[in-house]
Amino acid sequence: MAEPFEPKLTAFVCNWCTYAGADLTGTSRIKYQANVRVIRLPCTGRIDFMMVLKAFARGSDGVIISGCHPNDCHYTSGNYHARRRWMVFRDLIDFVGIDLARVTFSWISAAEGAKWASLVNETTDRVRALGPYQEIGKLAAAGIE
Amino acid sequence: MSRVGVFVCHCGENIAGTVDVAAVAQAALAMPGVVAALDYKYMCSDPGQTMLKKLIADERLDGVVVAACSPRMHEPTFRRTTLESGLNPFLCEMANLREHCSWVHDKGPATTAKAIDLVRLQVEKVKRNRALAPIRVPITKKALVLGGGIAGIQAALDIANAGNPVLLVERSPSIGGHMSQLSETFPTLDCSQCILTPRMVEVARHPQITLLTYAELEKLEGFIGNFRATIRRKARKIDESLCNGCGVCQQKCPVKKIPDAFNEGLANRSAIYVPFAQAVPNKPVIDVASCTFFKTSKCKACEKLCPTQAIRFDQEDKIEVHEVGALVLATGYRTMPVANFPEYGYGQLTDVIDGMKFERLASASGPTGGAIKRPSDGKAPQHVVFIACAGSRDRAKGVPYCSKICCMYTAKHAMLYRHKVHGGKATVFYMDVRAAGKSYDEFVRRAIEVDGVSYIRGRVSRVYEEDGQLVVKGVDTLLGGEPVEIRADMVVLATAVEAQDDAEKLAQTLHVSYDPYHFFAEAHPKLRPVETNTAGIFLAGACQAPRDIPETVAQASGAAAKVCGLFSQPELTREPVVAVVDRQAPPLFSSCTGCLLCKDACPYQAISEEAIKNRAGEVIKTVAQVNPGLCQGCGTCVALCRTKAIDLQGFSNQQLFAELMCI
Amino acid sequence: MESLQRKAQELLAAGTVKLVIGYGEGTGVRRRPIFVRTGDQAGSLVLDPACTQNLATYLTKAEVRALGRTALVATPSTLRSILQLAAERQVREENLLALVPLAGTIKELTTFADIEAMVATLPDEIARADQEMLTQLGAMSVVERRAFWEKELGRCVKCYACRAACPMCYCERCTMDNNRPQWVPVASHALGNLEYHVVRAMHLAGRCVRCGTCGAACPHGIPIHLLTFASEGSVRRQFGQPGGASSRPTYALATFKPDDKEDFIR
Repeated sequence: MAEPFEPKLTAFVCNWCTYAGADLTGTSRIKYQANVRVIRLPCTGRIDFMMVLKAFARGSDGVIISGCHPNDCHYTSGNYHARRRWMVFRDLIDFVGIDLARVTFSWISAAEGAKWASLVNETTDRVRALGPYQEIGKLAAAGIE
Repeated sequence: MSRVGVFVCHCGENIAGTVDVAAVAQAALAMPGVVAALDYKYMCSDPGQTMLKKLIADERLDGVVVAACSPRMHEPTFRRTTLESGLNPFLCEMANLREHCSWVHDKGPATTAKAIDLVRLQVEKVKRNRALAPIRVPITKKALVLGGGIAGIQAALDIANAGNPVLLVERSPSIGGHMSQLSETFPTLDCSQCILTPRMVEVARHPQITLLTYAELEKLEGFIGNFRATIRRKARKIDESLCNGCGVCQQKCPVKKIPDAFNEGLANRSAIYVPFAQAVPNKPVIDVASCTFFKTSKCKACEKLCPTQAIRFDQEDKIEVHEVGALVLATGYRTMPVANFPEYGYGQLTDVIDGMKFERLASASGPTGGAIKRPSDGKAPQHVVFIACAGSRDRAKGVPYCSKICCMYTAKHAMLYRHKVHGGKATVFYMDVRAAGKSYDEFVRRAIEVDGVSYIRGRVSRVYEEDGQLVVKGVDTLLGGEPVEIRADMVVLATAVEAQDDAEKLAQTLHVSYDPYHFFAEAHPKLRPVETNTAGIFLAGACQAPRDIPETVAQASGAAAKVCGLFSQPELTREPVVAVVDRQAPPLFSSCTGCLLCKDACPYQAISEEAIKNRAGEVIKTVAQVNPGLCQGCGTCVALCRTKAIDLQGFSNQQLFAELMCI
Repeated sequence: MESLQRKAQELLAAGTVKLVIGYGEGTGVRRRPIFVRTGDQAGSLVLDPACTQNLATYLTKAEVRALGRTALVATPSTLRSILQLAAERQVREENLLALVPLAGTIKELTTFADIEAMVATLPDEIARADQEMLTQLGAMSVVERRAFWEKELGRCVKCYACRAACPMCYCERCTMDNNRPQWVPVASHALGNLEYHVVRAMHLAGRCVRCGTCGAACPHGIPIHLLTFASEGSVRRQFGQPGGASSRPTYALATFKPDDKEDFIR
């Protein structure tokens, strides 16, 4: 019998808020599912949309992007720039037929340890229900990667 | 070929209890580029650190991954150890196996698999890490304090007493600010000018302080440690070196009917004037808009009568450029005008005044010598109504915040009135009484219990005039909403504290953030209250938020401490996590196309233009340039750049790509 | 047409410009860009409704820049491209002269201010056929759209004609040419094709003037201009800062409003 499908999630988080919030989740010993791999960045402003495409191309079934709440960015405005970028990127990838349900955006502050856990759990459950993300992955399989 | 060492920490049972640490170390050894891997109980302990240093030396490691707790916890610790063993500290990364793994997942193969993945991510990243050196920025050890009120005065004195030269710039003719207008101050009721003027004199006489009054900052260029401030010294029309402050010019000036701003319009002044008797410097200024000579070319009485021939009608504004290393913003506040209140008379009712005007009435050096008199007919009012929260905590007036000082000064005003008009009745309409400071609540209780001030909890819906008196229609909510009507002789509104009119313009000139109410923004509301997000610019006083004198003085000293801390080092050392624009071989020189779209995105204005020149000095191309002294390393420009000509050291494109490729 | 040829001759003879870039006859009914350097070459210039290619793409070529002041036959899209290039510091006012066919005459525009004024009077719409395609695609489900683009982009051979044709793709080292790291694989397989076109559409968001030249340039007739129209449309709808409106930088993705409306962030 085949192994039950366990989704692979990649999370792009900012160092000052969401990463710290995830640390708080750990300090508070709140459990969540182990499907996520966190990539630490100084700020959500650093997130290039090419990284999101790459995550899917490398076999992620879902992507989480999370940073500081508006007005709280450690670098003042990185998250505002990121937000604008996502507003356009989201429309574009929806236009080319990439399933937006697999991309989750959130603002999580350093105090919101519980929110990080619930976000990961909720996203994992949702992506598990959606199934493996074949669309991009199969394109990769067809190619050289 | 990389030589990476992986150190897996047990952290006692914290990690080892859930993650199979031995398996992680073994898996790490199999990763390409890893030449050594071990696991140990406590990597942060002395033996653990020693182990780290030994392995770096023995195995000639060029990269280190410590798989342990969060980098937010111990990255500095392990980077220091790495540095001590002779390896560049930026070649050390941490994999978070505790907060992000062992503490949040159950023991099992999935958890260990995740731990191995997390280690692999960091191994791939560290293989692309570059050795980085801290950035050093020189510092000009001179401070500019903008604003000569109590905040600016305190900051200037503290910085100067630490041995640093200070330039104090104030736009009105004298320092002193709003505090010089006050009568007595809470909670001690000591006279404001009595405690302020000694400080003002100290500033004037301090060898390290250069005082520029009647001057404004026009432009600020540069960055922390290296600012260039362009200051306009407005023409007083007086030669300050000759003027001895005798005052004859003011006495003899024929134009005497100009409403005096210092006295809130309760008195008049002449066209040539000193703002108040204790002004520092005690040198007059000619108000060019009102002076007869400037309007009609006649008069010149002051010039004729000045015993030292100090009048200079042809004096021009002077522009000066000063090099400074840090700025303290202490530009203060203003109060909401009474004209903002249609319900209280549109500012047309002469006896409806604001708190500042009451201060001038109560002040011993004020136009009435400290006697409380109605502005309309000069009689002593027998019943004064004080309305608290006039404009504050009121979204309809655009001020949802609390102005903090009004509950205290309203109690003070009521007490002073009762002290001066013994038979008079004082009523305060309030919403809450906010008296949170030291001795503050006792002060308010004193007003109520000793000085017999009536406190009614309710708002005033309307004030209008009838038969020479003011009808005040309020409500008493503690008596179940019973309407209250008082026929008062004077009404004092505790109007909201607001940012200065030109606060927004100043903030934009300095590239300092500000909130929707134009108060300047602190870098962090709790942990960095005296800094702004603009490196080298600090905050003191009410320009940041409404506050009283004790807090202002404390904050000014705090800002001064930051400035002195900055100046105490020979140079400024910064983390090298900064963006860098690349260079390539000719004929490309740099992949940057010079579109400069990154420039607007930088929150710190760290990006400027640079011309790449050939040996003959001709410009080959113009590209972007990042000031490493200003860049904070957010990476917004990197994500924005289409050609990836700009990259972030420490979180470079190669490092992140490597992490993504191993997922 | 004659007035254009005459104008070109005059400008070259007087030495006002060193080069006139315009349209000439191509294969069959097509038109192609021609580079007129002397008066006698001016006779090759043509002007008719088939002249739609955005010629601004040549303004950033080193060979053109080396020649000196250039006159350019400009369609409305070309004018917008010139403004966007100016905002990105890629062209200088003194090196440029726009020749705009207007009601039988040729109008000369020599300053960015003049170009902005002209652009403000011109309609800013995309072709009806493209608008209909966009509406159709918008009405499809995500899965249907995926299938559509998989089929279309499957024909892409990574010739990069679209990139060469676009005036805003002037980077000397395109991110596609970067191999350390190689974000987008170079070979023309399905994943690489998708990533390339998504990346290009994102890089053009807020800069695209919707001239459609990229789609016209594609030798396989893939409607890739719809992708850039989509990303540019997204910018216009959400931020109102279109590309090519002004010679001063107004790049939508380099600025922000604290209250940008987003409903998808938790």
